[in-house]
Amino acid sequence: MIALTIYLLIGAGLFLFLLVMARRKNTPVEGCGEEFVQARRALRTLQLGLLPANLVERIFDRGDFEYVTAESSREICKLFLAERKRISLIWVGRVRGEIRNLMHFHLGYSRFQSKLSLRTELRLALDFVLLLFACRTLRLWLYLRGPYSAPAMVGIAAGAAARVCRISEQSLEFLNPVAGDSFQNDSTPGGAAI
Amino acid sequence: MAATQDLRRRTLAHIPQPLERLIFLSSTRDYNTGLYRHEGLALRFSEEASCEALADCHRDAFNELVAASLRDLVHQLKRYADNSKASLSEFIGAWRELEPYRVAIPAGADSLSSELLFSNLKIALAILETRLMAPWVGKPSASPRPSLVR
Repeated sequence: MIALTIYLLIGAGLFLFLLVMARRKNTPVEGCGEEFVQARRALRTLQLGLLPANLVERIFDRGDFEYVTAESSREICKLFLAERKRISLIWVGRVRGEIRNLMHFHLGYSRFQSKLSLRTELRLALDFVLLLFACRTLRLWLYLRGPYSAPAMVGIAAGAAARVCRISEQSLEFLNPVAGDSFQNDSTPGGAAI
Repeated sequence: MAATQDLRRRTLAHIPQPLERLIFLSSTRDYNTGLYRHEGLALRFSEEASCEALADCHRDAFNELVAASLRDLVHQLKRYADNSKASLSEFIGAWRELEPYRVAIPAGADSLSSELLFSNLKIALAILETRLMAPWVGKPSASPRPSLVR
């Protein structure tokens, strides 16, 4: 009876696996423009909204905390720490969300368009996994210990996210408008000038 | 861009603090259309160029303010309150209740940056209020404060 149950469970697992694979193969390449646009949006949000060095520095800057501690009452210190904790949790949550969007795009769609080498793809996969883990750990850490408890981890997460963004940019490069010169450079010698 | 340079040179040069610039520039925006209007600038250049220049400078002021330290923000807020016609207590009361800075951010600003600025302004107002209630807080005293403990 136990053996039968184990075989049934393995069978159900294999069936689910095949179902997932079959669904992935049916992903229409032509109809996935929306996913490209979403990935592009996630990339822009990360690069311009969440990862600029001055913003990360401002959120986790100890200088503000020292100023409040030196200048204000205990109530304001508590208010400040609660506010910064809230902001830092929003930051790490949004970074994680946008990284997940990019990962979803890479898993499902980028292989049809991008010219990433196998080594880069493996590196990217490892970066995604580590980054999502780092974000989750950082979120827990910030929640339990406050916004100034893990400056090194914040730096590592921001650096890894920036690296993932750089690689993702290559996959989404074809969405950028093509400059006029590139047409000229691509034309064959003796061909018609554009 | 000529209109932006003109705006910076003629108008914004007289408004040195990013907080004041942010409030001023947001006041030139029509809330119904989201378009900026400045009669003088539009006459010299065009409606579109003037709108674009005001929007650019508004974004710059916002980014400067987001990057400002809390100490700097408290200083800017104090100066802004001093330049207004209201007393400091009235000013703090109105800003805490109405939160006018929430409508002063440029369109398309990232929500996290906006949240950080709102949060910093909230703390800056609390710091100013404490100073108003107990002026000795935060200032190095020449002589030790009288203690009740003997």
